[in-house]
Amino acid sequence: MPSSSQDLYQPKPAEIREVIEENSQIKTFDLSFVDREYNDGFSYEPGQFMMVSIPHCGEAPISVSSTPLNGGTIHLSVRRAGKLTEVMHEMKRGDVVGLRGPYGRPFPMASLSAKDLLFVAGGIGLAPLRSVINTCLAAGHERRITILYGSRTPSDIAFKEDLASWGQTKNVTCLLTVDRAEPGWEGEVGLVTALLAHCSLDPHETKALLCGPPMMIRAVLAQLADRGFADGDIITTMERHMKCGVGICRHCHMDDKLVCKDGPVFTLEELKQLKVMELQG
Amino acid sequence: MPDKYILKKDHLLPLLRKLKKTHRLIAPVRNRHGDTLFAGIDNLDEVRIDLENQPQNSLKQFFFPQQETLFTYSNPASDSYHFEPVVEESPPTLYFGVRSCDLSAVLYMDVVFLKNVKDPNYQRKRQNTILVGLNCNDPFANCFCNATRNGPFIDFGFDLQLTDLGDRFLVEYDRSRGQEIISDWRQFFAEADDQDVKAQYQAFLEARGKFRLQVHLDQAVKKLARDEVPESVWEELSMRCQDCGGCAYICPTCTCFSISDLQTTDHAGERIRSWDACTFSGFTRMAGGHNPVDRQMRGIEKRFRHKLQFDVKKDNRPSCVGCGRCVNICFGGTDIVRFINMTCCENI
Repeated sequence: MPSSSQDLYQPKPAEIREVIEENSQIKTFDLSFVDREYNDGFSYEPGQFMMVSIPHCGEAPISVSSTPLNGGTIHLSVRRAGKLTEVMHEMKRGDVVGLRGPYGRPFPMASLSAKDLLFVAGGIGLAPLRSVINTCLAAGHERRITILYGSRTPSDIAFKEDLASWGQTKNVTCLLTVDRAEPGWEGEVGLVTALLAHCSLDPHETKALLCGPPMMIRAVLAQLADRGFADGDIITTMERHMKCGVGICRHCHMDDKLVCKDGPVFTLEELKQLKVMELQG
Repeated sequence: MPDKYILKKDHLLPLLRKLKKTHRLIAPVRNRHGDTLFAGIDNLDEVRIDLENQPQNSLKQFFFPQQETLFTYSNPASDSYHFEPVVEESPPTLYFGVRSCDLSAVLYMDVVFLKNVKDPNYQRKRQNTILVGLNCNDPFANCFCNATRNGPFIDFGFDLQLTDLGDRFLVEYDRSRGQEIISDWRQFFAEADDQDVKAQYQAFLEARGKFRLQVHLDQAVKKLARDEVPESVWEELSMRCQDCGGCAYICPTCTCFSISDLQTTDHAGERIRSWDACTFSGFTRMAGGHNPVDRQMRGIEKRFRHKLQFDVKKDNRPSCVGCGRCVNICFGGTDIVRFINMTCCENI
């Protein structure tokens, strides 16, 4: 968190060190603060987000997709969605953006270490979970990890390097599916829920982490409930329009909660206390 | 030191003249158009301080301006992309004639802007301020601070508090700065006697009986908490609300804001903060157009729930202070009083 009130809203310049084109809609920006000393002291936790300033476009909240255990790396994976992200997608190595953060309540990493883990993601939703997965793997997570990832088409599959590397890790099962096949695709076609149906899981020994479009979330939640998962063992991260990132401007309100401060990570148990669009049919 | 004093009305202007030497003075001023507004006073001899009418504005704009520049930025996209905080001078300021509703609203804003994190712009404007309150002997037509329980008289949160007793003010202090004013300018203050204190209590009893609106706020709060507000109420409100945002702008406790960039040249611009309203459809719209809240149907609901449900849950009191300004301004007939009474008398 910012150290004094004076810099509450003040972005710091951060240089783009590399741009990874994940697919036609998503790019991952590898960033480091121009101020070396600040960069060295900077850290974050999986699930937290940064407010990103793009020249003349204002700010947007973007979740960090890298692991803090890979020292000095800040990856922001950005889907081309509006004006700010459109301009950001034109930016190249060496260009400078503004960053402030990290903000928000992270994933409860300590409670994950002694459990089997199920990750279900759709599209850009893999970005925040990638931070958790790579953190767990770097920390030597020994229990079973199942990763289910759905994309629209095979060319929409993002984070291919990570997926390939997870697929080769001993205790990890990584399964992909697409909504629509393309020539050459020999993998699954269908919803992630179909993949999920084939996975053997012990609901009492597994934490499920989900992130993706509302339709996917609802379908996955229904299946996890059928399989006996407790609401407190299902964790997701919410996306909302934000302006301040620090719990004042209220754009990201969900009933009496603010996504920027009380979230963005919530358990299903917490979300069920609220009227949340993602959970409503 | 006694806790109640008398300030003769003849002594008010001389006292303000003294205080004005060290403080910027802001008070309700009747302007040449006949409007009463809180405004800065340069020359006490040239303005008419109006303690009879309700100021059309609250103190919100002085601590949280409708639009303010947070930063200037320069050299975008280069190594020296830099945000320079815009730090405006905030001289010591005395706010005079602040009624219970507006005083309570400032205390609410203190929670919003200073409790969890400290908003630097608000903090700068708020520090070095003196709040001189005025108990309301004659609540205005649309006032309901009796229902929100922060008026017509208030006994905390001010530095000095005045009660009009005809030819004199009874003066109380709650904070050390108020106490200092009395000690520093002791020649203007006499100790209050029992008669004065009785007269104040009498004024309070009379004021309490003068409210014209019946507002069943507690009932509405209960119904919201139990989720018992009929859907038809929300439907009617959303249909009739004209989406002007006037209620949020005029409201002394509506503090939602937006932040955006204003490009001034190719290589520079300003980062601006401005008032926003949660009733607007863009309030929650995300990049790409998706909106997690059906603003057309739910915008006004979110506003009332925030004030009367979520803030009650969090702070044990609603964040409506009963000033009645939204009732005065709303031409759609969807102000908070209309909502409360629709909720409690759903057949009407």
